[in-house]
Amino acid sequence: MLQGFLTLFLVILLLHLLTTLAIQLNGNPAQAFFGDRTPSPAQLAAVEKRYGLEDPCYDQLGNPCLGPFVDRLAAYASGDFGESLRGREVTDIVGTAAPNTLRLFAVVAVTWMLVGMTLGSIAARRRGKPSDQGIRGLSVLIDALPIFVLLLVYKYVFSVPLSKWAKETFGSDSLPALLFKPSFSIDHPWATLIVPGILLGLAGSAAFIRLVRAAQLESYNADHVRAARSKGLSERHVTVHHVIRNSSIPVATAVGIIFTEALAGAVITEGMMNIYGMGGVLWKAVQDSDVSVVIGIVTLLAVVTVIVMIVVDVVYAALDPRIRYE
Amino acid sequence: MTDQSTPLLEVEDLAVEFATPDGVVRAVDGLSYSVTAGRTLAIVGESGSGKSVSSMAVMGLLQMPPARIVRGAIRFKGQDLLTLGPKQHRAFCGSHIAMVFQDALTALNPVHTVGWQLTEALRARRKMSRREATTRAVELLDMVKVPNAKERVKDYPHQFSGGMRQRVMIASALAMDPEVLIADEPTTALDVTVQAQIMTLLSEIQAERDMGLVLITHDMGVVANVADDVTVMYAGRAVEQASVFDVYSSAAHPYTRALLRSIPRLDRKGAGLEVIPGRPPDPTAVPSGCPFHPRCAYAEDVCRVDPPPPQHVLPYDRTAACHFAERVREEGGAVR
Repeated sequence: MLQGFLTLFLVILLLHLLTTLAIQLNGNPAQAFFGDRTPSPAQLAAVEKRYGLEDPCYDQLGNPCLGPFVDRLAAYASGDFGESLRGREVTDIVGTAAPNTLRLFAVVAVTWMLVGMTLGSIAARRRGKPSDQGIRGLSVLIDALPIFVLLLVYKYVFSVPLSKWAKETFGSDSLPALLFKPSFSIDHPWATLIVPGILLGLAGSAAFIRLVRAAQLESYNADHVRAARSKGLSERHVTVHHVIRNSSIPVATAVGIIFTEALAGAVITEGMMNIYGMGGVLWKAVQDSDVSVVIGIVTLLAVVTVIVMIVVDVVYAALDPRIRYE
Repeated sequence: MTDQSTPLLEVEDLAVEFATPDGVVRAVDGLSYSVTAGRTLAIVGESGSGKSVSSMAVMGLLQMPPARIVRGAIRFKGQDLLTLGPKQHRAFCGSHIAMVFQDALTALNPVHTVGWQLTEALRARRKMSRREATTRAVELLDMVKVPNAKERVKDYPHQFSGGMRQRVMIASALAMDPEVLIADEPTTALDVTVQAQIMTLLSEIQAERDMGLVLITHDMGVVANVADDVTVMYAGRAVEQASVFDVYSSAAHPYTRALLRSIPRLDRKGAGLEVIPGRPPDPTAVPSGCPFHPRCAYAEDVCRVDPPPPQHVLPYDRTAACHFAERVREEGGAVR
């Protein structure tokens, strides 16, 4: 827990230093508020004050601006995450965007688990046989097609004819038509997320398949599995209680690592499929130099990542009695 | 004591091959032995002599392929286990023959409690309830003299010391009340004082339950203490089979003699340890004729040609695979 908080603090500090440096190098983002118009000094000062950019440290290159940093921490602690350049509360933006990201993640996680565990187990079970080689080939193939290539191919080659066909056959508001809709629809958040989620899940499952296979292979050859077989237990019992149970330990560790990868993939997926989620909002905020939104969302993502890591640690300890924390 | 003449476990002319990238390797070649109730058979040999492979074959634990049982029979009370399918073979062994593995640290599953593992087969195969199983697990731990058994059933293998872990392993083998116990180098991973305790425990349990015990070892000292009969293996073949007394008083195979001479002895302190010259044969290129001839002090031309030497049947129901078995046996007294 303490380590989690420390990580979180360091992430926020690093983020603060980077944005401060960006402001010092590129000029004050309050300027962006006015677009092409030239504001009067009074207007500029008002905007700077509103977004907490009035501190003179932002004009001094190399100044870490710790004063505003402490102010921001205090504001975060009291639940105030600031507002966007358009005057919307960051918490409000996150509140509407986060559920879509969570939906995407749910689809991704289910795909991972199903594809990774099933194919990995089959490959381990039938080691060296054609099915094993086929699965390994498939996982390399998926790796060779990064998520943005998968999405591009889907969106521009398959999605349009498929959704056209589905609209004509089942009607424009039918489930198949929504499934293959080339972009996200806020009215049907689940249906329009499933295919992008599955694609993102597939992209992540490639490494997962190989990991599950390797972990289970190690278990299949372990002495304790041979000892369990010597007790005359059924192969099914041995597989469930000894092979899969033991190989779940390295797999649980890897889930944390793959999660962060999926987070990066989510930003790309949301951007490409026009999904209104955390990744999409972040993408836009960076383009608009919307400092409060960027810092707010990245902080939140850091919080989520730290929580996931803590959960992984707890699960890990639950699975492996040898490292149970006293 | 049950009838000594009918063996519980009989292995007859067993041959096991492995397919390797360097060609087919014959790990066991024409091994025969039998164990009766209440008696201990020691199978002795260097690493790679086929002693572990043959016991894996008995238990149906060989991975096939690459392993293949070429010929032979493994009979338990007359029932040939090799004619059963692999599933039935293992299920049969689970209820009649149990195995104690070499390294209890790796042979026990680290993620399950000791109590869970002890009664795993009882719960899965005899549909024992959890409560009964816990009672039984405590009994089993008591039987192998693990102190404070009631508390310890809830512990995990890593919370036990090496010797205690091996006791748990033995308890787990006893759970299904086997009639034959195969112990594959049960004391190799332990330190010397604990080794003695474990061997004593095994002998006591064997006597108590009138079990047949197959003890696989490379420690001739252990053999002298606990075995009734000895089978010495070399390059997959049984080179000498005799009672423990005959082996120690008058070994009839040069390899057995050499093994006995390489035991460290207090009365020859400072004289340096006797070693067998050369190395065990490469299993992909076993020498022609007698596989031991390149290392044998008795070797003559006849030993270098095929086929391997015959099994000489000697008095007192013993055999030795050597052309000069009689001569070696007569000189055997010189060993000690």
